[in-house]
Amino acid sequence: MTTTEAQELLQAIDRCADEPIHIPGSIQPHGFLLVVSEPELRVQQASENVQRWLGIDARSLVGQPLSNLLPTARIEAGLTALSEDDHNPFHLSDVSIGLTGVAGQAFALLGHRHRGQLILEFERAETSGQAYDTLYPLMRTFVAQLQDSRELEALCQLAVREVKRITGFGRVKAYRFDAEDNGVVLAEVADPGYPSYLGLCFPAADIPQQARRLYRENLIRVIQDANYQPSPLVPALNPISGAPLDLSFAALRSVSPVHLQYMRNMGTLASMSISIVIRDRLWGLISCHDAEPRAVSYQTRTACELLGRILSLQIEARESEIVAQRKLELRHQIVHLLAAMADRDSVVEGFRHLPEVVLGFAGADGAAIISADKCETVGDTPDHEQILQLARWLGERRDELVFHSDCISRDIPDMPALAEHCAGVMAISISRLHAHYLIWFRHEQIKTVNWAGQPEKQIDRQSGALTPRHSFEQWQETLRGYAQPWDQVVIEGALELRNAVLGIVLRKAEEMAQLAGELRASNKELEAFSYSVSHDLRAPLRHIAGYTELLSEMESKQLSERGMRFLDNIADAARFAGTLVDNLLSFSQMGRSALRLSDVDLGALVASIREELAPDCEGRQIEWHLLPMPIVVADAAFIHMVLRNLIDNAVKYSRTREVAVIEVGAEQRAGEVVVYVRDNGVGFDMQYSSKLFGVFQRLHRMEEFEGIGIGLASVRRIIERHDGQVWAEGQLDKGATFYFSLPKLSYTSSLLDRDI
Amino acid sequence: MLKPILLVEDNPHDLELTLIALERSQLANEVVIMRDGAEALNYLQRTGAYADRADGNPAVLLLDLKLPKVDGLEVLKTVRETAELRSIPVVMLTSSREEPDLMKAYELGVNAYVVKPVEFKDFVAAISDLGIFWAVLNEPPPGSLRLKRARNKDEKN
Repeated sequence: MTTTEAQELLQAIDRCADEPIHIPGSIQPHGFLLVVSEPELRVQQASENVQRWLGIDARSLVGQPLSNLLPTARIEAGLTALSEDDHNPFHLSDVSIGLTGVAGQAFALLGHRHRGQLILEFERAETSGQAYDTLYPLMRTFVAQLQDSRELEALCQLAVREVKRITGFGRVKAYRFDAEDNGVVLAEVADPGYPSYLGLCFPAADIPQQARRLYRENLIRVIQDANYQPSPLVPALNPISGAPLDLSFAALRSVSPVHLQYMRNMGTLASMSISIVIRDRLWGLISCHDAEPRAVSYQTRTACELLGRILSLQIEARESEIVAQRKLELRHQIVHLLAAMADRDSVVEGFRHLPEVVLGFAGADGAAIISADKCETVGDTPDHEQILQLARWLGERRDELVFHSDCISRDIPDMPALAEHCAGVMAISISRLHAHYLIWFRHEQIKTVNWAGQPEKQIDRQSGALTPRHSFEQWQETLRGYAQPWDQVVIEGALELRNAVLGIVLRKAEEMAQLAGELRASNKELEAFSYSVSHDLRAPLRHIAGYTELLSEMESKQLSERGMRFLDNIADAARFAGTLVDNLLSFSQMGRSALRLSDVDLGALVASIREELAPDCEGRQIEWHLLPMPIVVADAAFIHMVLRNLIDNAVKYSRTREVAVIEVGAEQRAGEVVVYVRDNGVGFDMQYSSKLFGVFQRLHRMEEFEGIGIGLASVRRIIERHDGQVWAEGQLDKGATFYFSLPKLSYTSSLLDRDI
Repeated sequence: MLKPILLVEDNPHDLELTLIALERSQLANEVVIMRDGAEALNYLQRTGAYADRADGNPAVLLLDLKLPKVDGLEVLKTVRETAELRSIPVVMLTSSREEPDLMKAYELGVNAYVVKPVEFKDFVAAISDLGIFWAVLNEPPPGSLRLKRARNKDEKN
């Protein structure tokens, strides 16, 4: 189709959509219509075909009292029963109108008020008793069977079978409108010779919007003969309102010529449709057709309308049940996920632990969770780079709590690579502050639509009017790039999950705050404790040292050599205990004092430490490998202490080597710097590596290597204050390497004002 | 007449060791000993048991931080708030430099502090430095003191 043709078609459809089908100005001629004033009951408008039915010229009827035509007493009684809010035609009575030249004919008189006008429609009367006698049992079995059917298709199948039995139409089908208003035939019963449309799809454009509105309001519509000659109203405009008569609810309303053409194209001359309206939406239609013209009495129509309403209620109940079931299932899965997240104290861990729930929850093929720049996936997903790119894209639309698309190529056109991998995506943001997302992916689902005829409508090139397509032969279309659409229930479930996850995150933040509070309190206690240690423990040690010294000084002559050695041991022990206490205090001090961040030139620091240690290196042969080091942001005094401790250790533990080799270097990694100090000394057994950094943990005997076992504990404490990590690698007698990592801090980093 | 050194110390061992340290630093000043803060204040303000003592402030006040009844900081505070006592040099004696009260002592206007070292030798050195500085160097005439001390020594031997 060329562009011009496509435009013409669109314009024609627009015109079709604009046709005011509720005011056609004429009726179908299988009955006649009068508009009468109230309360005088004087004829205001009449359909021209009263001439044919009653032998009266419509014009002569206008202005006459209705009572000239028929006895009005029973009509008046019926009118009082017409309720204001029900616009549907109501059977007022059967009337017999006998006029000159026409034998007394029995008519069923149906009345309804719409927009302040009383509309009376006259149809040929049936024997009412007979109709009810056959209808009632049919309806009764139908209702009983409906209750036994669970599936939508089965419900619809029952309904079409029933409608066919009541009405006798040659083919009855039920179809349901999808989200785009295309109608898919779910059930069908047809006499031999009728083409079957079961499973076919009628394009949305087949029924223009205003017709759908009318279907929604007026649940039943009959066309007895598509070849009818419409009978115009006389006069065309209502003399009181000066406007065309609104025939929305009139049973005899004439329909659009486009529709009649459509019917003839389908090879059907009679049709009836029963609307299935659920929650004010046109859910579907039961559509009846016959190759021959067919009359449908008002009793049959009423029965069908009732049947339609019952079916609607049943479908609504089934749908609510399905939705409730699905909601319950989703709720279970949410609870399951949340429990896993809460147990592990981590949203990501919970996610990783239950891949099948994560996927089952949304009926997805893959899922990803993105926190910070980390991306965890389960199932089949695009690669991490694409997911992170998607997260950035989502980040630009922050106000959306949930994003979903069943066609990525259409909705995210700038990410063709993503669309190649999957077609559907649903994402929820799981942090109020950060770009953290939970994302589900669905594969493309190649969809085959069996259209009832090629959906493009044709335009009559002469008149520009729309000619409905002539062929209703099945026509297949393959849709690419689409995933199964995300169910509203699933989207709501995802939102619920989002709120709950935020709740967990929030609760964790609260717990952290509480923990921080408790830590502060216990820190205060520790401070008090160290105060008392400093004061109370140090004093007796001082006394021991003091008196020992005085004793050895003043009384040495009276002591044996052994006694003197004992005294020396006491003094040594007291001195050592004093150092212990002092170190313990400065260790506790380390955790308390605030970090003073500045630029620290690690290279210069190592050089100065080497000089400080020169006296210890005297007489030793040490090969130094000092590699280039970066400048980091850290607390200079503390980092000095760390490096001094590590290098001091390297010097100390390599002193049994003829040539000690000590290497100090650094490595830049993503977001951090890793510094190491390596020696070829006595090393350690890796099974004790966890003990290395503990307070007062020593791996060597005192005689081998002096020390009190607080150096590495201090190192760890300082590095952890910087949000870094310490670790070590070693082998007995093969040397050791101590590492610490420092995250790349800025002066505004939050650890500045943290005091735990 | 040299002004005395006022030593306020509750712990008998610390007291003895401090006295030995003072002795070894060869200060000639008399050492007046008070065992708690309340007693120290009585002495300084010439109230209670010391209402009758002769006028005059000590050369230096060696004050332990932790004291029974009225603690060192309170004594320091009262000294700094009393016009007649304000000029007395106060040296705080403390067990450890980690004591949080040390900051308060500075705020209250302490002149110096001594962390009592575990090593007795170091303690003697610290007390002697401080004692000489505050009790001697700040008090003229210095020459006579040293003479007197040397003479005393000779007499003893």
